[in-house]
Formats: sequence, C-alpha cells, structure tokens
Amino acid sequence: MSESVQSARSDLLGGAGWVGFGLLITAESLRMDRYESMGAVIYTMPGFVPGMIGCVIVFLGALLMFRGWRRSRQGQPDTADGPVLNQRIVLTLVFALIYAAGMIGRVPFWLATALFVAAFTWTFAPDGAPRPRRLASAAMAGFVTSIVVTLVFQQVFLVRLP
Amino acid sequence: MFEGLFMFGHSVLRFGTPEIIFYALTSSLVGVIMGALPGLTATMALALMTTLTLKLPHEEALLILICTYVGSIYGGSRSAILLNIPGTPASAASCLDGYALARQGMAGRAMGIATTGSVLGTLIGMFFLAFFTPILGGMALKFGAYEFFWLALFGVIIAGTLTGDDPLKGWIAGIAGLFIAGIGQEPQYGYERFSWDVRDLAGGIQLVPALVGAFGFAELLTAMRTRQLPVKISAFDTVIPKLRDVTQYWRTILRSGVIGTGVGIVPGVGEDVAAWSSYAAAKRASKEKEKFGKGSVEGLMAAETGDNACVPGAMIPVLTLAIPGSAPAAVLMAAMIIHGVKPGPMIMIENPQFVYDVVAMMLFATIGILIYGLVLTKALVQVLRVPQHFIVPIIFVLCSVGSFAIAGRLFDVYVMLAFGIIGFFLRSFGYPMAPLVLGIVLGDLLEKNLRRALLLSDGDLTPFFTRPISAVVAALIFVTVGFKIWSLYKQARARAAAAAGAAP
Repeated sequence: MSESVQSARSDLLGGAGWVGFGLLITAESLRMDRYESMGAVIYTMPGFVPGMIGCVIVFLGALLMFRGWRRSRQGQPDTADGPVLNQRIVLTLVFALIYAAGMIGRVPFWLATALFVAAFTWTFAPDGAPRPRRLASAAMAGFVTSIVVTLVFQQVFLVRLP
Repeated sequence: MFEGLFMFGHSVLRFGTPEIIFYALTSSLVGVIMGALPGLTATMALALMTTLTLKLPHEEALLILICTYVGSIYGGSRSAILLNIPGTPASAASCLDGYALARQGMAGRAMGIATTGSVLGTLIGMFFLAFFTPILGGMALKFGAYEFFWLALFGVIIAGTLTGDDPLKGWIAGIAGLFIAGIGQEPQYGYERFSWDVRDLAGGIQLVPALVGAFGFAELLTAMRTRQLPVKISAFDTVIPKLRDVTQYWRTILRSGVIGTGVGIVPGVGEDVAAWSSYAAAKRASKEKEKFGKGSVEGLMAAETGDNACVPGAMIPVLTLAIPGSAPAAVLMAAMIIHGVKPGPMIMIENPQFVYDVVAMMLFATIGILIYGLVLTKALVQVLRVPQHFIVPIIFVLCSVGSFAIAGRLFDVYVMLAFGIIGFFLRSFGYPMAPLVLGIVLGDLLEKNLRRALLLSDGDLTPFFTRPISAVVAALIFVTVGFKIWSLYKQARARAAAAAGAAP
C-alpha cells in the first residue's frame, strides 16, 4: 500500500467523516416507517439493520478519530507518500466524466468512444514523440477501439450499446 | 467417491465440444493478459467479463469467467518475474524470488516454475473442491439463520482484518459495504431505504457496476498516478520446466496447495494472503532459507502454487454457503446469481452436477494456462510493452459499456463512476476494497438472516451464542477482533515509547 496516505490528520478527518456518515445513516433509519400498525416489532422494522450499521460506523469512526488524535498528540510524523491527486489523475477524471457522464447516451456511441480514446491517447502520449506521429497514433487508437468495441459488443456478445 | 468421479467425467465430456474449448482457451488468454498487465486485477477482469457474457447461456458464461479467473491469477506472475511489478496483488510474493531469478538470467526458468506451480496448485485445489464441497454442502444443510448471520459477518470481518494494512479501516470498509447492500427496497415491506426519491436508487445498487467502478475505474485512476516507465525486458532462457524442480520440491508443492486451498475456503481472504502464507510456510520449512528473496526456486514455486490453489478453494464456500472466499469469487458468485444458478447449501441436493461442472471448468482453465505458459510466452511478454496511454482508455470504455449492458440503464454507468471515484479515494487513504465488496455481496444474506433469526427466537439473543456452530463462528469473530485490537494497542504503545525515547 505504498500509495496510501496514513497520517494522524487523515485518521482524524477520515474518522470525523465516518462518524458524520454513521450519524446520517442512523438518523435516516430512525425516520423510516415502523409499520407498527401492521404488527412490526423492532427487528422487523425497515430501519433496524441500517440503524445498527450506522451505529457501528459511528463507533469505528470514533475509534479512528481517537487514534488520529493520539498520534497527533504524540507528534508522530505524517507518513504521507505524496498528494492523493495530481495533474494526471485530475485529467483522467475529467476525460472519464466527460465521456461517461456527458457523452454516452447523448452522442452516438461510436463517435463518443473514438473521440474519448483519441483525446486520451493524445494527451498522455510521451512528450518525446513527434507531433504528427502522436496525432496519427491517437486517431488510429480511437478509430480502431470504436469499431472493434461496437462490433464485438453488438455482434458477438449481443449487448445493446448506449 | 466414485459417483463424484463419474459426474466429473460426465462434465468433462459434456464440455469437450470445439465451441466450449474455444471459449475456454480464449477466456484463459484474456485472463492471462489482464492478469499480466499491472493495474488490471483478477476482480476487475471478472467484473468486466461478467458484463460481456450476460447474454450467453449460463454454462458458457460461467466457464468463461472461471477460465478468466484462473488465467488472471496465473498471468500476474509474468510482470512479477519480468518487471518486478505484480500484475495482480496475488503475485506480490512472486516478485521476491521471480525477479531475482530473472536478474540472474533465469527469467525463462522462473516463468516455467510459475507455470508448474500454478498448474499443480490449481489441480490440488480442484481435488479439494471436488472432495470437500459435497461434505461441506451436507454440513451446511444443518446451518440455520443464526449460523448464516454469523458467517456473513465473519466474511466481512476476516476480509477487513487480513486484506489491508489496517484492520480498523478494513472493518469500516466492510461495514460500509453492508450499508450499500441495504440501499433500495427492503424485502419485508418494500420500503425504499436511502433512495431519497431517486427512482433508480429504489431498485438498489446493482453489484456489477459497483464492482466495475471500485475495481476497474478506481484501479485505472491509481495506475494513472505515475507515468509508465519504458519497459525493459531482458532475454530469457527456456520456459520448459525441469522435472527436477517438481520432484525436488514436491513437499513444498503439496504444502502450498493445501495452504492455498485452506486460505481460499476462509470467507473473504483471497489469493494474495494464500501466496504469502504459502511462501512463509515454505521458508520456515526450507533447508535453503538463505536463498529466499535472492532467487529461490522453492519460494517462487510456493507462492505460485499457493495463489492458484486458492482459486478452487475460494469456490468451496461460494458453492456450499453462498459466501465468497475472495473478492474475485464474490464477482463470480454474483455472476452465478445473475445467470440463475443458486449457490448455497441446497446445491448438492438441487444441482449436484453443477459442482463437478465447476471442477471441469477449472480443468479446462488449467489446460489453457499450461498451453500459454509453455507455448505463447514470448508473444505474451510483448503485451507488457503496450503503453499505458493506450490500455487505460480502452479499459475505461469497457467499464462504461459493461456497466450499461447489465440493465440498459445510464444510471448504472453513473454508479460505476461514483464507485470508481469513492473507491479511488478510499484506496488512497488505505481502505482495502475486498471487504467493501464482501459487504455489498453479503449484506442481503446478513440482514435477511438476522431478521429471520430474531423473529424465530422472538427477539431473544441467546440462540446466537448457544447453538454449537453459531457459538464457534461467533467466538472466532470476537477472538479475531479482540486479538487485532490488542495488537493495535500494543503497536501504539510501542510507537509512543519509541517517540518518547527519541525526544530530547
């Protein structure tokens, strides 16, 4: 787990987040219909199991917070290996969201796929390659992926495409 | 015994058609390639292949998935040996001696050992799968709601304890998975939980898009963190394994096969733990301890035998209890349910032939990896040279289409995206994904059986602790959690003492 961020601060903040999440689940579970008029008892009510799960998450989150607090009190150094996000990950996220949440279902699938793969390949290709070669290989990757995926899914696996 | 053999023979003969053999060989190859590529794991391969095989008849679909599973666990050894990067987490132990052998100019021999170990490991696991499943299936018939509740919880807790560096975060991930499983209409009154008037959420979170996100998209994001360095693969010697390596280390092979299968049977643990446990046991028992980590044939053989033996082992609890032995087995179990196969205690009564079908599918997968291990090595190695910026967008397209294919809803694509982003951040902060998956898979089983058990006992908790099997599983959970909390406390004290000692 070399890429994980294990620090007192992340434990403290993460624990607080889990406590909040657990409280939200518990509160929502308490708000659920209880069907008492239909003879429901506590363990048959819809909110029973989620409520218990919420309480366990609150408890475990509090433990995580306590550990983070202890670590920070002891002045243990953070062992973070680097920031969670960097430019490459943010760019990947942006491309993925534009393709999957923005284009699929709105733009013809083959076109969306060709554009996404070509743009991604172009952006992340090594800097040293000549510009025309990068462009050609990106366009080729987009075109081939689009054709192959469309044909294989529709003709071989009989899957309807978005 | 002979009835089992007869049924196994029947399954093998039934699957011996050119079409099925083609499916088996192709999917084993897909598995090997996906396993070999760093960043693409067996769970991801299975989740993607599940979406691709939805429209196929269930036998063909499950054969493809099992061959992909076996192939990907084996394929991880390629990059472990040649690049010192485990293709899947299961191959991390193989890096130690596999890469050391490659640096000594024996990459071919190392790959031959990996092939031998993987094939023999799968065969040993298959034997136990065929032998133990009917026995455990018979025992499972005595399990009631109390036992199933504890077993579901056991799977989540054990996965949380053993699959990451931090049990506390593992448990949180597992419990969060249980919560996710509860989203949507609850079974008794049809009440829509946590759907907040979103119509698509009322039907619950579909397992496969969630898995494709958590294991596919999240892994792609993690892989994109750093720029891929140019791949340098040195020339290698012959990959044909030596008979001496098998005869000399037969004890190690048998031991690792048994350990791997045993680890597989434990709900929620998985191939990486099997490989490390087998490696550690081999090192303890070895006469050549000093060679471990420096190019030990025995160490590599142990790791590769252990992780592949875990695959059939992980199928035993799937078939007998409907509780997955590992994260990829959880996906496989979900695929079985999608295809109308009902794993669980009744399988040996309702569909005993299916158990031997699974064993036969494993056999076809083993033949596949043997062929690719011996014949296609040089071609397969070239796969490792395919640049990351070509692979990542293609895999993401497959993640998106695969999620959509499950029900033809764009909502499932959004679920994949959401789980990918959440999974990436959780992973980045040290939360393991395997318990989350186990939680999602086992949530329904846990809730139904908890409510049923409390209804049966009229709210009395005593039977949870007094029924013999229930008491044993409950004790295992409490001992595991107690032991882990105690060891975490001791570690914290030791760190505090060290910090106090270092202070001026």
